[in-house]
Amino acid sequence: MIRQPGKYKYSQLETFKESLELLHLKRKTIIVNIIILLTAFMVGYFMISINSETRDILAAVSLFVILLSINLAFYSYDDDHYNNLKIAMYINTLGIYTIALVLIFLFPIPSVFATLFLAYAITSIYQDYKSMLLSNLALFLSGLILLIRYPNVFEIVGQQDSQRIFLIIFLSVFVLLLTLSSYILIKRKNFFYNQLAHIKECEIRNVELFYEVDKIKTGKTLKSEEYYKELSKFSTELSKKIGIENVFSRKIELLRDLKKYNINKILEKYTEYSLEEIEMISQMEIEVNQKMKMIGLKSSQSFGVEVTKKEIFSETQFRSFKHFGDDRYVKIISFVVFYCLLKVNKPYLKALGEEKIKDILMNSEYFYRVDKDIINIYFENNEVFDTILEDHMEGSW
Amino acid sequence: MRAIFNRIKNSEFLTFNEVLRLKVAIVTVFLFAFTALAIPQSTYNDFSWDIDIFVTVGFALLLMLTILLLAINLNRWAMHFSIYSIAGLTLYYVSGSTQFYGYILFFVALTVIIFYQDILTYLIYGMVVTGYGVLYISQKGDLLVGINSTNADVSILTYQTILIVFYVIFLIQFIVSDSIYEKLNNEWVRMNKVVGKYQEFTLENLKEIIEKNNKEPIYKNTSFHQAVNEISIFINEFFEEDAGSIAELVEFYFFLHEQDVDKIIEDEKVSSLTRKYASQLSKYLLNRKSELVSILFDFSTLFKGDDKYSELRYEYNLDNMFDNKIDKLLSLSILYKYLKSECTQLDKYGKVNRILTHEEIVELFVSKEFREFISYEQVNFFLDNQELYREFL
Repeated sequence: MIRQPGKYKYSQLETFKESLELLHLKRKTIIVNIIILLTAFMVGYFMISINSETRDILAAVSLFVILLSINLAFYSYDDDHYNNLKIAMYINTLGIYTIALVLIFLFPIPSVFATLFLAYAITSIYQDYKSMLLSNLALFLSGLILLIRYPNVFEIVGQQDSQRIFLIIFLSVFVLLLTLSSYILIKRKNFFYNQLAHIKECEIRNVELFYEVDKIKTGKTLKSEEYYKELSKFSTELSKKIGIENVFSRKIELLRDLKKYNINKILEKYTEYSLEEIEMISQMEIEVNQKMKMIGLKSSQSFGVEVTKKEIFSETQFRSFKHFGDDRYVKIISFVVFYCLLKVNKPYLKALGEEKIKDILMNSEYFYRVDKDIINIYFENNEVFDTILEDHMEGSW
Repeated sequence: MRAIFNRIKNSEFLTFNEVLRLKVAIVTVFLFAFTALAIPQSTYNDFSWDIDIFVTVGFALLLMLTILLLAINLNRWAMHFSIYSIAGLTLYYVSGSTQFYGYILFFVALTVIIFYQDILTYLIYGMVVTGYGVLYISQKGDLLVGINSTNADVSILTYQTILIVFYVIFLIQFIVSDSIYEKLNNEWVRMNKVVGKYQEFTLENLKEIIEKNNKEPIYKNTSFHQAVNEISIFINEFFEEDAGSIAELVEFYFFLHEQDVDKIIEDEKVSSLTRKYASQLSKYLLNRKSELVSILFDFSTLFKGDDKYSELRYEYNLDNMFDNKIDKLLSLSILYKYLKSECTQLDKYGKVNRILTHEEIVELFVSKEFREFISYEQVNFFLDNQELYREFL
């Protein structure tokens, strides 16, 4: 059975992850461009100090200027910033290698060959899969072609044999190790983006769960009329105090009407507001809309939440049934209790069918929360699990 | 090998310790190749054959030691020894001959250190390797000048500059990624704690519902005990012959629900084995906000409302949510009213039954943490008119 790890991901994650990534991509683009600018100055200085021809200096510096101008253009174009910066990133990756190769052909000596490593270092700041792939390919292929087709680049004064085979081996190891390093790092980076996006959505859903259970407990829902009545009184007094007409009353009336009428009727009645404004105001509606309740509950819990340095990157923060150092018995029992709980009716979640549980465990992040051997035993014997549980619980509690 | 590839593929789900272990394993494979390469390379270097043999055997032993450290789970030590190995190999390669590949090896050594992605390790070991590389070029750089070179001094300077800049750029990369990931992780841990509070409330409400309906909690249900027991024994059969030995621990697990677990864990009179199991199982108890309860609640959210993503979905700052000043003040008043009317705190019996007082709300509003929700301007407006808030909302 082929796994589909994204099948049970919250649908909102990808868009939010993109906005998170954009924030960091902007920062990385600026850093890369500063480094490119400094490198341009350095190259210019070296070329002048060895009395290179003006034509060569201008050629090299122009390449830097072109690359920086392209970056500036993409950065300043605000529409679809995420994709623009991605394109700028790919152009940068290839552009930096192009400049390095131009320099190598201008100065075919071993020390300048090492500029390819610098090109790699600069592009590695992006920590992006496609950019990493481009960079690795560019480094390996250009290095290999230079070693095979242009051996004079590596010829050293007084040495007959440049031992190119060692150079090829070391270059391969260099590229391979850095590829693995970047791959693991990028995977972890994506994991963090994913975790943060996940917990943001998880928070909203946990608040919904809280309200759902609270409603079962109290049998009541929040009554907005009481809110609006008091808000009206408050706004009248407030307006009196600051000596202005009551600018809140029309909006309070609108909030009242939002739960009664559909949007067309609202637009008809409140002609002074555009659809956009009404949508914005509707976030304050408290009976049907969750937003203000969410802010209320979230803000009431904001006090006293402290994060210590020790807790950051700590394994204990990841909730699972396979903690490092836990006994195998504990890993088994914890998973079995979890499994059995999924199969009984709960006030907030009905008993799940065997196929559904198997599908979720197989195709979601929960797959990684259970010890590998134990989850495999479950997948191979889930019908036995089901039978045992049915024998004892018969689907009820 | 397939296992290693699979682990690399799923490395984001590994713990930090597991990732480090995986990295050391990969580096060790490369180091073995380098050590083996030292044999043909020895024909080109200036060392006598006995030194070559001694060095090769020495490196092989060093690698064995790294593997041993990995085997006994001393992964961090193994990492250090693998770095010593690559540094030693670099030293051996560059001391015995003056070839351009010797210079490339400095980059390879730095790459190995970069591979571990540990800023302090890179700062120290990376600086030592770079420093030695610069020193090596100053001493032997004139033997590495290309035949097309027009100026030997500039050639040497280029070698040194590129090595230093390479080190510095990766240091920048470390600082950038460290600060990003630390910030992301900090926020994630903080949010985990806040979500934990909601889950604690949900659990308390569930306990009240069960109590009100005169039902017994699931952890007291005998059928449930039996089901857990039998499935656990069934799984354990795949691991050991005496599969039934887990049954005792299942019984102990349910027994713990009736006890003060923290007291058992701290009680030195209790056997260390009992304390160990109590500590490990406490993470999965059903009568407190444990990891298991959290995972279960999170799991159930897979079936909750699935509204479309909008730009303001995760925005909770009233100042950012609204453009209009009146809207900002109106939303502030609604927030105040909510906090003053709804139960958002645990009472002295641990139930979600307490409402914040005006004074507590004032304290919340002026706190640093609350800037996540309202601006200074809104706080000042609230403070100037707090009597009206208190009286009419």
